[in-house]
Amino acid sequence: MFLSLKEIKKEKFRYGLIVTMIVMICYLIFILTSLAMGLSSQNTDAINSWNMKSIVLDKDSNTSLSQSLITKNQKKNINLSSKEALIGQASVVAKKSGLKKESAQFLGLNNKQFIAKDLVLTSGKKVNGPHQIVVDEQFKNDGYNLNDKLKFNSNKTEYTIVGFVKNAKLNIAPVIYGNIAAWQNIKNLNDQFVGSAIVSKDANYDANNQQLKTYSKSVFISKLPGYAAQNSTFIFMIGFLMIISLIVIAVFLYILTIQKLQNYAVLRAQGIPAKTLVNATISQSIILVISGLLIGTILTIFTALLIPNSVPMSFNIPILTSVGIGLIFTSLIGSLIPIKLILNVDPVSVIGG
Amino acid sequence: MTTLKLNNIDKFFGVDSSRVQVLKNINFTAKKGEINLVIGPSGSGKSTFLTIAGGLQTPSDGSVVLEGQSLKTLSNKQRDALRLNKIGFILQSYNLIPYLTVKEQFKLVKKIKKNHNLDDHSLNDLMKRLEISNLENKYPGELSGGQSQRVAIARALYTKPDIILADEPTAALDSERVIEVGKIFQKLAREQNTAVIIVTHDLRLAKFADKVYEIMDGSMNLNNELKKKAG
Ligand SMILES: Nc1ncnc2c1ncn2[C@@H]1O[C@H](COP(=O)(O)OP(=O)(O)OP(=O)(O)O)[C@@H](O)[C@H]1O
Ligand SMILES: [Mg+2]
Repeated sequence: MFLSLKEIKKEKFRYGLIVTMIVMICYLIFILTSLAMGLSSQNTDAINSWNMKSIVLDKDSNTSLSQSLITKNQKKNINLSSKEALIGQASVVAKKSGLKKESAQFLGLNNKQFIAKDLVLTSGKKVNGPHQIVVDEQFKNDGYNLNDKLKFNSNKTEYTIVGFVKNAKLNIAPVIYGNIAAWQNIKNLNDQFVGSAIVSKDANYDANNQQLKTYSKSVFISKLPGYAAQNSTFIFMIGFLMIISLIVIAVFLYILTIQKLQNYAVLRAQGIPAKTLVNATISQSIILVISGLLIGTILTIFTALLIPNSVPMSFNIPILTSVGIGLIFTSLIGSLIPIKLILNVDPVSVIGG
Repeated sequence: MTTLKLNNIDKFFGVDSSRVQVLKNINFTAKKGEINLVIGPSGSGKSTFLTIAGGLQTPSDGSVVLEGQSLKTLSNKQRDALRLNKIGFILQSYNLIPYLTVKEQFKLVKKIKKNHNLDDHSLNDLMKRLEISNLENKYPGELSGGQSQRVAIARALYTKPDIILADEPTAALDSERVIEVGKIFQKLAREQNTAVIIVTHDLRLAKFADKVYEIMDGSMNLNNELKKKAG
């Protein structure tokens, strides 16, 4: 500790540069990870908010909510308990003159079923009638207010915003909750169709119908349009970024240790045990990486506070923590690769005769 | 009272056609309380001799026996401990840690060898005699060649070693300071019973020596003529 701190104190500029580099790398990884996580969660926020375990879709819909329909006939034989809810999905463009158009996911619900019942509003009240809707707060951020009237696509019917919900996102689009009748109207369906899917809180729910199939939540989510491709892109991007940055940091610390060999040779000649030198190397790497991580974390927190709401960011503490631990580990490896050199440092060859 | 003994030391460098013999069958004994001076021209093998004597490098042949213990039988760790506790090394070129102030060079040693070092009073005394008291807070990079050499001497004496191995300790010093350094070594030998071995091409130290050796192309012989010449 004594040696490593004294060296940092004397060589402020050199070590400042190295810490700056580590800060930048941490910051880059943290921000990119958070952005990726943010985007990824916009695919699934709404689904997660329902606490569902399984979903029943038409077996020929290719696990796609938008391709699935459930008919009145099918529903007749289906037993819906308090753990099940019908949803009717439609992709819509919502508009009100003077305001930004919003591509949104309309979800028709049945008031008496759990999704509608459990919905937590941030303001307003729940849907009570075919021309009322509850919308994601993104609408509020874009200037929409309670009691504003919207139209969908080329449809003439007006819908009134009666409430807002937070984090209601499906497939990176804000969700509009209405009732099933509204959904039928938007999709131009008659009442032969009762919804797109049945969502259940029961993992083993079975609709007992040849044409319908139950999928687990994770299967359903992985089949959301674009979701898997997007996630694997991010995982590879962040993975490569991490590996490369870790190598860069390790190389820097390696060079740093190599530069110290001459001093270590002198210390060995004085009889300072190798253990002291190894400890100095390790403690210095840890000091550098931890200060880099701390500053990087503080920068990330500031960025999170300053970044506009429209940019999705999600801070997953366990993932960010493991990134941090990974950084500490590789830097240790980087500074310990030359440990054999430290242990076997030959004072004579370094100091000369 | 023998404290350091080198028996039939050979040292080769290189392999095959580039193989050269730098030390040839060297026999040498240092006794407690004695100042030994080894004089020789550049490239004669002085530094090689001294670093082998201090266990910094191993001889190709022969043995080094320090206080009855053959260095060959010791582990690296034991050799480190031996250097820390028994030997004061003053190297030819590079003695101080660049990122520690003069004061901290001593502090580092004290952190590892906690006892049996010079007390503050004696250290101050020594630094005064070497005229380096006012350099306490300077870094080695801010010292002149002679100043760092004198700090290196003080550093080596700080641990109260039984044996001092010094490589050209006076190369950068003027005559007045050579005399002061000679007197310090003499005092150590007389009062602390320290064995002092100095290799140098500097004849100015010869008058402080009890024995003067000459090293030539790797062979070492006692040569008290040199002492008379200097005195
Ligand atoms: N590691 C080595 N490999 C090959 N040759 C070496 C090595 N170390 C020293 N030598 C050679 O051994 C000879 C003696 O070197 P040494 O350093 O002992 O001389 P010296 O008497 O201390 O010289 P100087 O007065 O210039 O310090 C030189 O010819 C040198 O080139
Ligand atoms: Mg030499």
